[in-house]
Order: sequence, then C-alpha cells, then structure tokens
Amino acid sequence: MARAHTGDEKNVLERTAHRAVHEPDVVYRWLTYIGIGFFLTASLFPFYWLTVVALTPNRSISGLGLLPNGFNPGVFLEVFQTIPFLRYMFNSVLIAASTTVIVLFVGSIAGYVFGRYDFRGRTPLMVVVLVISYFPPVAFLIPLFRLFTGNVSLFGLPYPQLYNTPWGVVMPLSALVMPLIIFLLSTFYSQIPDGLEDAARIEGSTRIGALFRVIVPLSAPGVATAGILTFIIVYNEFFFSYLMVTGTADSWAPVLHGILQFQGTQSVAYNLMAAASIIGVLPMALLVMLAQDRIVSGLTQGALKE
Amino acid sequence: MSTKKSQSAGSARAYRLDLKLLNRIERLSETQFVYVMLLPVFALLGTMAIWPLLYTANISLHADNIASADPVGAFVGLENYVRILTGEANLRRPFLDLNTPFTSALPVTLMFTAVAVVAETLLGFAMALILDQEFRGRRWVRVGMILPWTVPIVIQGMIFYLLFQPSLGFLVGPLQNLGLLSGSPLANSQDSLLIVILGDIWKQSAFMALLILAGLQSIDRSLYDVAEMSGASRLQQFRTITFPLVLPTLLVALLFRTIAALKVYGLVETVSSCNTVPTLSCLVISTWNANRYGSAAAIAFVIATIIALLLLFYLQQFRKQEHGGI
Repeated sequence: MARAHTGDEKNVLERTAHRAVHEPDVVYRWLTYIGIGFFLTASLFPFYWLTVVALTPNRSISGLGLLPNGFNPGVFLEVFQTIPFLRYMFNSVLIAASTTVIVLFVGSIAGYVFGRYDFRGRTPLMVVVLVISYFPPVAFLIPLFRLFTGNVSLFGLPYPQLYNTPWGVVMPLSALVMPLIIFLLSTFYSQIPDGLEDAARIEGSTRIGALFRVIVPLSAPGVATAGILTFIIVYNEFFFSYLMVTGTADSWAPVLHGILQFQGTQSVAYNLMAAASIIGVLPMALLVMLAQDRIVSGLTQGALKE
Repeated sequence: MSTKKSQSAGSARAYRLDLKLLNRIERLSETQFVYVMLLPVFALLGTMAIWPLLYTANISLHADNIASADPVGAFVGLENYVRILTGEANLRRPFLDLNTPFTSALPVTLMFTAVAVVAETLLGFAMALILDQEFRGRRWVRVGMILPWTVPIVIQGMIFYLLFQPSLGFLVGPLQNLGLLSGSPLANSQDSLLIVILGDIWKQSAFMALLILAGLQSIDRSLYDVAEMSGASRLQQFRTITFPLVLPTLLVALLFRTIAALKVYGLVETVSSCNTVPTLSCLVISTWNANRYGSAAAIAFVIATIIALLLLFYLQQFRKQEHGGI
C-alpha cells in the first residue's frame, strides 16, 4: 500500500512505456483483449437489443434506452397465439431437413464419382457444376415460378404444381446447394485409401455397396459437416423461401413469412417482431454451439476448395 | 390374408428387380458406370438450374407482353439489353442514372458491394488475427463471433429494422442530431443503403474471418521463429510473412463475398423496401411483378454478366500471380 503511494503518476506512465518498448508482447496481448471486447460487443449487442425490445411491453416501447422498459416474458407465448408460429417453424425445419436428405444422397453419389474416378469429361462437368453456383437466384426465378404454377411444361410432360408445397422451395434449393456439397464431399471421399474400397470389392460388394457401406461411413464426419451446412443454409435462405409460397402457414411457408407477418400487421407490435426473431434464431444458435468445429471446417474447406 | 400374400410376393419381385438393376450397373464399364451414377445429380441440376438458365436466356431475347395472356412476346434479339443499358427501358427504378445514384440499381448495388466487402475484409482480417492467438476461452470467443453468420437473413433484416426504427431505437436520435440520419431513415434511400450495408457487415465479417483464419493457420510457424532470430519486428513479420502467405486465401474470400453481395435482395426487402434501395436483384423482381418478363430476364443476365466479368478478371490476376513466382 505504502509503496504504491510513493510512486507518482509520471513514474507509472514511464514504467508502462518502458515495459511496452521492451516487451512488445504485452502490448499485443492488450490489443488482443481490446479487439476481443470490441468484436464480441459488436457481434452480440444486436441479440441483446432484440431481448430488450421483446421484453418491453408494446405500450411503453417508444424511446427505449439500453434497458427494457418493463418486464413482459409472456410475449414469447403471445407469438404462438397471434399467428400459427409453431407451424411456420415446423415448415422451416421440414424444408431444411428434406433438402438436407436429398442433397446428401444425390451429392454423395456425385461426390463419390468426382472424388474417386478419373474419367473423360470430369473437368468440364465439374466446371458446369461450379458455374451454376455463380448465377444469381433471379436468373432461375421466372422459369421455375412458371413451372411450379403450371404455366409452362417441361419436355412436354405434365409437371406437378409445386407452388405452395414444400417441394417448391426444396427442389430449387437442393440444386443451388448441390455444387458446394459436391465439392465438399468429393474431397472427403477422395481421402479414403483405395485399399479399403478394393477390400470391400473383393469381399463381393458392388461399387454402389462399397460407397454406402465403406466410404460414406468412413467419412461420417465429412458427411455430418455437409449435412449441417446444408441445413443452416436452407433454414437461413430468403429468396426462394420468400417467393415460392404465398406466405400463409397452410401453404408450407417457412418461418421467414411468420416473422414478416408481424411486420405487416396494422397494429405495429415491435415486441412481437423481436420475440419471433429470437425464437427463430434459437435453433441456429444451438446448432452453432454444439457443432462449431464442423461448421468452421465445412465453411473454410468448401469455399477454399472451390 | 390373400392380399397380404400377394403384397409380399410383389415386394419380393420388386427386390429382385432391384438386384437385377444393381447387377446391371455393376457389370458396366467404368466410364458407363460413372455416367449412370451422375444421372440423378444432372437430372436435378438440369431441371432446377440448367433448364431455367436457358429459358431465362431465351425470354431475355423476347419483347415484354404485358397485355396478353402469354407474357413472352415476339423475338427482338438484344433489344431488351440495349434498352436497359441506355436507360430507355422505363423500369420502376432506373438501371443507371447518375443524377439519382441512390435510387438507380447499378450504382446502389456497386456501392453496397464495394463498401460492405471492403469493410468485411478489414474487420474479418482483424478478427482472424485475434482468433489466431492463443488465449483462454478462445472457443467461446469464436462462437460469439460467428453467431451473426448463422442468423437467417429475415432476422438479420428484422434486427436492423428494429435498431433504426425512429420511434424505438436509442441510436436514431443521437445519429440524427449528428446529422448522419434523416427524419425517417428506413424510408430514405441514402440512409437505408447505409443501414443495409451495416447489416451485411455485421453478418458477413465472421465469414471472412473464418476463411482468413484458415489461411493464417496454414502458415508454417517456423517462419516466424526464423524472422524473430533475424530481429524482425512484429510489423515486419506481418508484412513479409503473414500478408503475402495469406493473400491467396484472402483473394478467394474476397471473390466469394463480392459475388454474394452483388446478389443482395432479402436484407433490403426486410430492412427497408426494394423501392427505397433498388438493388439489381430488386429491380428484376419489380420488373417481373410488372409482368415484363423479357426485361426482367435481361436484367438477371446483366447481373450474371457482371459476375462473369469479375470472375474472369480474378482468374486472370490469379494466373498472373502464379506465374510471377512466390
């Protein structure tokens, strides 16, 4: 205590400066902490703000400060009572899960072929797959919309009207996620040693059998990564989810329409908008916390391989 | 009883057929096998991606036909493109009008892309440098930082809608006093563009950070030891080791984000409206809603062309760099 009082302020400054010059690592350490503080605040503050808006009763919501103006946890129940929000959530999960199943199955076969076979036409076909992923979604919209509403026929065949069904969102999204997943899975599958596949073939397994009994199980972590990534991308998607359904819960509209319903109502209920947003983001937040390594590796590998 | 029996017989037959099919696939030569296996994926991509692209390309060469039952008019060649690029198309919002840059589609989209991507790159780089350090609780810091990336677009939009709602937010008042925002920011084109850019930066910086982090972690650590031995400062180490080695990854990440930013639509629709911030994708939708199929398709392909030019430029630069050594 006494020693602290003897050193005057200039001395403290001098000592800090001295340390900074001679041990730059200390400075970097502090810079790192300041950076962590800044980025975490910037990333997480909007979630806090949503909670503040949700908990404040709607009548006292104007001119809100940094703390909730009242405490109204009932708003989270109100979301489900005002509109069939649970049905919207169910639709979203169903759409994301179906897309994931289709993409993993079809993408596995394609990833196996592209990853483990060297054949004529391999590179051009890969380029076709890659080029598709660069087109903006608006370039697919008009024909698909006309096809799904029964205004145009494909190769003269009668085609089921997919507008306002889950398939109207699932099919286009399966195609648009496919390139990323093919590239991810083909790198995973190509890493399995040839010997294991040959062994299965000698045991009498077919090539398809070897794919689903040996290669897919051995690359389970990779397949899981691809699956989680597909689920997140589809759940978060806006374009086709918004335009391929009318927007009522019965028309298989996903959760984004549920949330927009609150924005569209005559009585502006900001607290309900915020509460619905929090509920809608929860599944994704849980997924990130449980599977962060998969998501990180999938994202980086997928993007850098392409 | 009898129906059950016949059913099981049927399923047995189906199973045998299945085996037959599998056996036939097994007996194919390798090349044949490969193409049979690629059938499902190209059936899906063919109907959901390739056919729509060809169809859109085709109607972009046909006139608008608002009145009649068939919205696709007569073949007019490249006229739609010419009319859009010269500003004669008379769209809901102009394609390019330098007198009103904040309400014409090309400048709005380019401003959005340039500002958002540059900011995301800088912030992402900083985040990646932080996450590359060793410190306690690093995993949880990473979760916190990537959380925005996992937020659905509609909720991302809702967050920024609520943050900049004048009757609600604590942010709007002070910003208005500083003269940065107008009275109703979500209805003002200039302010809304700024808010949409902020929203994009909030969500996508983490994506940039993760890609750059992957690049950072692939750098051989012994290079830094050598640098330290020869007395290089941290800054010098960054300039001579970190930056050049992470540059290829950075460029890929940059390309990815730029392409995605050029397609922006959902964020604009939720935060503000397509009429206030008319990005190129917005313009396609509003033109399509006005039943002008030909023009809408042509704008869609203008976006695709911009992306293609960007890709070509990038590939050329990348090739040059590879030939240039390092």
